[in-house]
Amino acid sequence: MEESAQKKWDATSRVFDLFTFGDERRLGPHKRRLLSKIRGETLMVAAGTGSDFQFFPPGAHIVAIDISPRMLERAAPKAAAYSGKIELRQMDVCALLFPDASFDTVATVCTFCSVTRPVAGLREVHRVLKPGGRLLMFEHVRSRIGPLGVFLDLMTPLSRLIGPELNRDTVGNVLRAGFTVTREENVYLDIVKIIEAVRGGAS
Amino acid sequence: MTRIAFAIGDHAAGMMVGSLTALSVRWIVWPGMDMVIAMLLGMVAGMVVPMMLAVLLAPLLGMFQTMIPAMVIGMYGGMLFAMRDAMGAGSSSLGGATAVGALLGAVIVLAISAYDRILRGTVIEAGD
Repeated sequence: MEESAQKKWDATSRVFDLFTFGDERRLGPHKRRLLSKIRGETLMVAAGTGSDFQFFPPGAHIVAIDISPRMLERAAPKAAAYSGKIELRQMDVCALLFPDASFDTVATVCTFCSVTRPVAGLREVHRVLKPGGRLLMFEHVRSRIGPLGVFLDLMTPLSRLIGPELNRDTVGNVLRAGFTVTREENVYLDIVKIIEAVRGGAS
Repeated sequence: MTRIAFAIGDHAAGMMVGSLTALSVRWIVWPGMDMVIAMLLGMVAGMVVPMMLAVLLAPLLGMFQTMIPAMVIGMYGGMLFAMRDAMGAGSSSLGGATAVGALLGAVIVLAISAYDRILRGTVIEAGD
């Protein structure tokens, strides 16, 4: 497990809910629409403080992991308040402790902007998904609009210190990990996106 | 209701960022300054100063919806205001400079909202 990443997110957990207050209200309906598609055994990668649990459909069974124990401590009351069952576990997405083909759905919300080795993490997600299993992602990525992309590149060294990177090619990383992208939707400009992908038959 | 509140918030934030950009440029650029240096200074000031304001407003309005307009207003507004001030063609009073900054901020927020509406929606759908 990456100790530096864990420490960073432990520290950020104190102000995380404050910084995501506006995003939750603004982007919440889009997250709810995406997460309504979860089916069967579901893995949520990067539970954070659990602020996105409210967008899960009622009655689901979800295993939610996070690299940061402090984040999971804050997520625990929200998991307890959920109408279905949310099981919290501390784990690094790059080294998942689940057998192959364990889950029907994997959900991520602003996760792969922060994973240090995104393709390695996505390959692990690919491994634990059942053949035909779905990957549902709500992520922000690098803009392809000239000056916006450059700006996100310039801001990334700063943003990386306290949280995510702003210039990830997450759609490309999903393809590199072996998934087939079935749907891509722009939520804000071409930066905040919904990405849906499936794991094909072969591992 | 929430959408209207956010739209008002976005425009108010854009106007604040525009005003702050115009004022910070007025502070560091003077008439007769070399135009290239003035524009570079204006661009840097326009990226740094409003970005600090954007970080303060982001928890209320959303991270990207605050940061992206602030960056565009700051970068382009900074260069534009620096060019005007270096030529001595800017508003004569601080109030005037603030108002022009606010106007530019509001116009850029409006333009980004329109562009967002164009880009929003499905890009790839299986079977396309």
